[in-house]
Order: sequence, then structure tokens, then C-alpha cells
Amino acid sequence: MDKNKIDVEVTRLRQEAKRTTQKTIIIGTLSIAIFLLVWQLLYSLKIVDNSRIASPIQVLSAIGSKVSDPRPDGNTLFQNIWASFKLAMVGFFLALVIGLPLGLLMGWYKPVDKFVRPIFEIIRPLPPIAWIPIIIVLLGIGTVAKSFIIFFTTFVPIVINSYTGIKGTKQVYIDLAKTCGYSNWKVFKTVGVPSAMPLAFAGMQIALGNGWGTLVAAEMLASSEGLGYMIFMGRNFGRIDIIIAGMFVIGIIGLFLTSIIDRIEKIVLKWRFVQK
Amino acid sequence: MEVCTKMTKKTKNIIVNLLPFISIGLFIGFWFLVAGKPSSIIPTPYEVYLRVVKLIEKPISHTSIWGHVWASTKRVLFGLLLACFFGIPFGLLVGWNKKFRRVFKPLFELIRPIPALAWIPLLTLWFGIGESSKIALVFVGCLMPVVVNTYSGVSLIPKLNVDVAKIYGASNSQIITDIVLPSSLSAIMAGISTAMGTGWIVVLAAEMISAYQGLGFLIIRGSNVSDLALVIFAMLLIGLIGSVLSSLLRFLERKLCPWKVEIKN
Repeated sequence: MDKNKIDVEVTRLRQEAKRTTQKTIIIGTLSIAIFLLVWQLLYSLKIVDNSRIASPIQVLSAIGSKVSDPRPDGNTLFQNIWASFKLAMVGFFLALVIGLPLGLLMGWYKPVDKFVRPIFEIIRPLPPIAWIPIIIVLLGIGTVAKSFIIFFTTFVPIVINSYTGIKGTKQVYIDLAKTCGYSNWKVFKTVGVPSAMPLAFAGMQIALGNGWGTLVAAEMLASSEGLGYMIFMGRNFGRIDIIIAGMFVIGIIGLFLTSIIDRIEKIVLKWRFVQK
Repeated sequence: MEVCTKMTKKTKNIIVNLLPFISIGLFIGFWFLVAGKPSSIIPTPYEVYLRVVKLIEKPISHTSIWGHVWASTKRVLFGLLLACFFGIPFGLLVGWNKKFRRVFKPLFELIRPIPALAWIPLLTLWFGIGESSKIALVFVGCLMPVVVNTYSGVSLIPKLNVDVAKIYGASNSQIITDIVLPSSLSAIMAGISTAMGTGWIVVLAAEMISAYQGLGFLIIRGSNVSDLALVIFAMLLIGLIGSVLSSLLRFLERKLCPWKVEIKN
């Protein structure tokens, strides 16, 4: 009898929760649809200056035609996406391979921290795009140079987060491992590194997001391909549909990249998510 | 034996404490090495110093070095203030009011993933290449972190606190001023300091693309006339101002929400 009552109550609450999510989704979709409609109307009724904005339909058709049409910047959409993606990945992995071990070692071994920190503190506050002139002088304007700019953007959050992560290792675990006779290196490997991983992954997400954002600027200042170059050329040719389409493509790919990191985290750090 | 280990420990400590100086020394030595070759265009630290002295005497594009610093700082601060002025109320509303959240959060999520720097072409098209387009850019760059942090600050408030206030008959506006704002204040401050970092990056990019004043302009000017000493000096200034501003914000945060520090201790 009682159990039945509870069951009824649970199903009622579940349905209610389901209804709220449905409502949220419906209202959200409606809100975006109304936004697009108002935007289209503002354009079609010429309430806003048509030389300064493109309508949603034009933006969509710009994306559609850019898939095969290299105008106005000389590359099709996928060529541009691939160029940007390649750069972001090279810079990001370089930063990961150097930054992750560096941050972990800095957090664990005091001498490493003392030695690296001063130089890191010089690099840290500098916005990555400020490096562009120096990098151009040293490495030219090729792929390597741009990857280096992405490297500088992604390096700092990766180091900081893996450092903070390993610093937050619970002392009890360290003591326990030491009591069991582990050497410092083994404690670092088996206790320190795994407990730093959640924050390190958060750092990677931030890093990739930042790197993707900076890429646009790097491509505007020195490039002949890529999504940043595409929207910059759109600006130069007065093609607003290309600019807005490019902005959305950049946004969507940025989301996609960070969600990949999320997915990898769920695979690598299975133990964090199974506990339930 | 015991004395011996103590000694080695002591010397070890001294060596560890000397390491920062060694690394800085190595860094400067490496710099001299790279710059020292006659064919190198990288200036030595001494050449950078000479350039600074010359810069203080002879302004670039009719603006003294302080004028350039102020031009960039002004843009960042204006944009940041505007972003706080609109972003904090918007974040509070999205976090607090369910109807408002349902309508406006999807729209915000639509725009949020676009990196601040990707707005440069559109905003320069709308606002020209003058002051207003730079402030608008900083505004867009700062708005996202401010809104996101305010929103998550509000949604992390313990429900218990709100319920207690409701039971004691607090009005909605009282709840907001007495509970919601103070509890989310440290998250908001964190958002503002992230925003300021973004603001600096954005303003530099905007100035590097088109400006006649500001630190980004100095960098691009130095790069165009192969005056790398100027570039390096501008970079140092940017780093310095960035650290000064972020420590100012930290100070402000300590003053505004002292309880956060107490909890840490």
C-alpha cells in the first residue's frame, strides 16, 4: 500500500521533471526562432542598413555556397576549416607534451618549481598575440610560426592547472603510499599524477578554447588560409554574410573541440565517473 | 654523521633557493647569446634600455609612452565597465528568474562560443576603426566571462539560505540584495578578473589591426619598421600593466568579500 503510494509519487515527479525539460526546450527553440525571425524582418523591411548586416537566410546560403566556392578568399570552407584545425592541433599538442609534465613536475618537485617559475612568470602575463612580431622575425609567417602562437596561448593554462591539480593531492594518500614504502617518484606516478588529472583536463579545455580563439587573430595578422583569414577577407570585400557565417562556424567548431576533450576525459578518467 | 646530513641539507637548501637566480641568469645569458651575433635583429637587453630612454624623449605618433599606455588601459576599463553594467544584471536575471532563463539563455548560448577576436571584422564594419569599435570589442570579450560567472555564482547558492529567507518573509528584492548578490560576489569577481585578461588580449589585437595609439599599435609599429626593441618594451609594459591590474582586482575582491579569505585560512 505504502510502497504503491511512493511509486505513484515518484512517477508523478518524474513526469513533472520531464515536462519542465520539455518546456525549457520548446521555449528555447521558440526564442531562437523568434530572434532569427526578427533579424530577418529587420533586414527585409530595411529597418537596419542592409549594407551593414546580412540576413539569416543569406548567412545560411553563404555557408552552403562556401562549401564548394573558393570566393572571395581563395579557399573553400573545408580547406579553411582544415587549415585552422591543423594549426590548433599542432600548437595544442606541443603545449600538452611540454606543459603537462612541466606543470606536474613543478607541483611535485620544489627545485623544478624554483628553477622554472621565474621564466614562467615572465611568459604568463603576456597576451599570446603580443608574441606575433617576435615569432614572425624568428620563424616567419608559416605554419610553424602560427602554431607557436597557439602554443603560447595553450601552454599557460595547461601548466597552471596541472600544477594546481597536483598541489591539491590529499596528504593522507601521499603519507599512506610513503608508509607502504613507495619511493617519491613512485608516489608521484601513482598518487600525484592521477589526482591532478581532473584539473589538468579542465586546463586542457580552457587551453583549447583560448587557442581556438587566438587562432583567428593569428590568421588575421599573417595568413593566406584559415577561418580567421576567411572572415577577415569577408571584411575586406564587404561580404557580411561570409563574416557572420564564419563566426558561427568558428563558434561551432570551438564547441566541438571542447566537447572532444570532455569525451576523452570521460574515457581516460573512468574511475571518476563510475563511482556512482 | 648527523652533523654531516645537516650540512648537506643546508647546502641543498641554499642551492634550491639559488635556483631562481640561476634560471633568470641563464635566461638573460641566452638572450645576450641570441642577440649578440652581429647579424641578429633581436636586440640585446641593453639596446632595449637605450630604446626606452629614446622613447621617453621622443614620442611616437605625437603620443608619449604614457599616452599609449593610457589609451589601451582606458579602452579596457571602459569596455569592462560596460560589460559589468550589462552583464551582471543579465547574469543575475538568467540565474534567478526561471522564465527569463528559459527565454534568454538559449540566445546567449548561441553567441557565447564565438571567440571575442572573431568579432573584429564585424565590429570594425559596424563601428569603423575608431575608439567606439575597440570599446565595443572589449565589451563583447568581457561580457561572456562576466555573464557566465554571475550565472553560475547564482545557481550555486545553497537553496537552504534562500528558503530560510523566504520563511522569514523576505521579499524577492531583499533576497536578491541580501543573499543572492553577496553569495555570488566572489564568483562575479572571478568573472571580472577573467574578463580583464580577455579584455587585454582583445584590445591588443584590435590595436594591432588598426590604431594610432596604444600598446598594440606600438607593437605593430615596431614590427613594421623592424624596431624589435620597441616591440619587446611594449610587451614588457603589457605584462606589467596586466599584473598590476589583476593585483588591484584581487585587492578589491579582498575588500568586497572578506569572508572568502577567512574560509581559506
